[in-house]
Amino acid sequence: MKDKSVLVIGGGVAGMQASFDLAEAGIKLCLVERTPSIGGRMAQLDKTFPTNDCAICILAPKMMDCYRHENIEVLTLSEVIAIEGDIGSFKVKICEKPRFVDAEKCTGCGDCARVCPMGIKSKFDMDLRVRSGANVPFMQAVPLIYSLDRDKCMRCGLCESVCGKDAIRFNQKPGIVERDVSAIIVAIGFDPLDPSGLTEYGYRRYDNVITALEFERLICAAGPTGGRVIRKDGSEVKRIAWIQCVGARDTRDNRPYCSSVCCMYATKEAILTKEHYPEAETFILYTDLRCFGKGFQEYVNRAEGDYGVEYIRGKPGEIREKEDKNLEIFYSPTSDKVEKLEVDMVVLSTALIPSEGVEKLAEILGTELDEYNFFKLKDPYNPTETTRTGIFVAGYCQAPRDIPECIAHGSAAASRAMEVVLGGSYDRIT
Amino acid sequence: MEKISDVINRTKAYYCVDCGKCTSACPLSRFGDYSPDGLVERALLGLPVQPDLRVWSCLTCNRCKEACTYGVEYPEFIRGIRSLASKEKETGVCAHGELFSLMTLFTFTHEREQERLKWVSEDLKVSDKGDVLYFTGCLPYFDIVFRDLGVNTVEIARSTVRILNKLGISPVVMNNEVCCGHDLFWNGDVETFKELAARNIKNIKDTGAKKVIFSCPEGYRTFKLDYPEFFDFDFEVVHISEFLSEQLEEGKLELRKIYKKVTYHDSCRLGRHLGIYDAPRKVIAEITGDFVEIASNKENSLCCGTSGWTNCDGISEEIRRERLKEGIDTGAKIMVTSCPKCLIHFKCHMSNRKGEYDIEIVPFENLVARAMELEGINEG
Repeated sequence: MKDKSVLVIGGGVAGMQASFDLAEAGIKLCLVERTPSIGGRMAQLDKTFPTNDCAICILAPKMMDCYRHENIEVLTLSEVIAIEGDIGSFKVKICEKPRFVDAEKCTGCGDCARVCPMGIKSKFDMDLRVRSGANVPFMQAVPLIYSLDRDKCMRCGLCESVCGKDAIRFNQKPGIVERDVSAIIVAIGFDPLDPSGLTEYGYRRYDNVITALEFERLICAAGPTGGRVIRKDGSEVKRIAWIQCVGARDTRDNRPYCSSVCCMYATKEAILTKEHYPEAETFILYTDLRCFGKGFQEYVNRAEGDYGVEYIRGKPGEIREKEDKNLEIFYSPTSDKVEKLEVDMVVLSTALIPSEGVEKLAEILGTELDEYNFFKLKDPYNPTETTRTGIFVAGYCQAPRDIPECIAHGSAAASRAMEVVLGGSYDRIT
Repeated sequence: MEKISDVINRTKAYYCVDCGKCTSACPLSRFGDYSPDGLVERALLGLPVQPDLRVWSCLTCNRCKEACTYGVEYPEFIRGIRSLASKEKETGVCAHGELFSLMTLFTFTHEREQERLKWVSEDLKVSDKGDVLYFTGCLPYFDIVFRDLGVNTVEIARSTVRILNKLGISPVVMNNEVCCGHDLFWNGDVETFKELAARNIKNIKDTGAKKVIFSCPEGYRTFKLDYPEFFDFDFEVVHISEFLSEQLEEGKLELRKIYKKVTYHDSCRLGRHLGIYDAPRKVIAEITGDFVEIASNKENSLCCGTSGWTNCDGISEEIRRERLKEGIDTGAKIMVTSCPKCLIHFKCHMSNRKGEYDIEIVPFENLVARAMELEGINEG
């Protein structure tokens, strides 16, 4: 007998959309997410382009819709470790890592977090905030269940003593869950590139060179600085420059592809800077402005015309840090002369790369990756079919795309998975 | 015969999007009127580039290539253009009045045998045949031409041999060693370069050497990357810094501490051309214990201002001034370099500006010899 359910790997915006579409069609599914909360990268963003809508305001209802749907089982802190079988009857083994908190009992009150003496850099906040050892990654996390960092925990027991629901479980062990599914959707998203290898820009060496995702956390009102864009010395920015294509369109490390979203998010970040600090000067140093989507060129025009964002053609060859920790950017706008731009902060629009662990997952799934480690399509005319029948792909992990495209891709993958489950049309697919 | 379109194809110059990254990384552009991508764009548009004298200004220091995210091999593009130009008898201006190219040809074509081993002092143990060969390169010649600068380049050769002797190696040195051809190659004279290469390879094979050690980064680059393009040989080539860093790892190198703050200047050939950044640093750090990194280092390192003895001008001096200032800003009293030409260029700049620079330029081999208590046993 064929099982009538689906496995979705990755609880970002693409995976959630796929899950919700399937669930609404009456199909049961299991959504597996590696981190403690669904939401993915979009949850880390302050606003979205080209409308400047609040990212979490759009996302949080979707997260709740997913989590509370009767047809969706959400497994967080979980990873797929093995699959067997084929289309129509995959057997999936999932490892559920312990939270050290009883998920049934925890009410998300946060008492444990308030007493825990540990300080750990928040990965969600790009290491810009020190959080407690008992935590949820962000305020709108779904599920709102705390988890403990046991590898750094001193086991002082304070959390246990304050928890009114008696939910702390120091001895929780990893669990193995098995599910039978007809189809699988992979939507594991991307990681931002760590640009410290691009030494010409001095990331980690210079105080005020940051990445775009770090900037998103700084400009976010719910972020570590309450929306203040501050330098390492605590002062607020006055002159800030974005450098585009950092590590992207770069053959030096086999990343010749365009990350597809950076021209627009840099524009957005510059606009947001202008909204927070109308007096600030903003510069975007680009190679080509790729504003190919609906409303994109208009967005750039507005940034330039209404907000006074300055676009400069030229990819900088070097950044130097001055004694006052300001930065001198060397660039050549006309390719016969070198210009120097002094700013007090540089934001690197870094390449987005396939998520960590993608190779291992592809091996487990038996699917192929392309030369840059994105999931390979069986053919370009089936934009959600991986090289293995019955396993579909959605979102950035297949190729660079923006949020609306990821959502559309998620829906597309869901509809193909529906064919498998409802139609049982394995023959046509194979 | 190669055409400009072949050079464009071979060096992937067609990938250039004119983003200006190379220009803003280029040491020449920083101080003067020069633009790698400007020149490439002209070539791509079919405009003449060969008569542009700036073709001869390029330092071929690889900073642009290291910066380029599109994979354009700009130094190789320049070399290709120079090759085309030199076939039409166009050349750059040698800063030392053709002396070196004459010397190159002298070592090679003159009937009279060289007396190139006069630098081998009595305390040095060298051989005619053996497994390990030391390729001395231009050092004995530089010593004559630049004696007034006090560069004492033969001492680099002597230090190298003393270090090897101490490690139980009595290296082969060849009287019939000829110029490696590096400067000819980069200035477009590929035919003479090939003749020199063939001669060197034959002579080395005759000694039975299995490993050839270099102190000069240019010679090393030429043997490692350029000779194999034209000839087959099976001896191994290695730079002294790599060799010593291996010896250090194996615990065979005993180094006395020199309690001074030391920084290191990456030469373009050893650094960006060959990617050897860590080996010399490892040895130096072992010696000083107080190693400081210079502001622009490794792949972003600033050049010494001239290569191939061509077009040394005010811009070259500006580059040197900037580099020496970077060295002094580290607070170090010693700036080590692995390249004799960098040494000569810095010393030359400093000798014309006495008292302006409070930093000593020390060849890598001499520092190591000093730390092994081998330096200057038979100086002068």
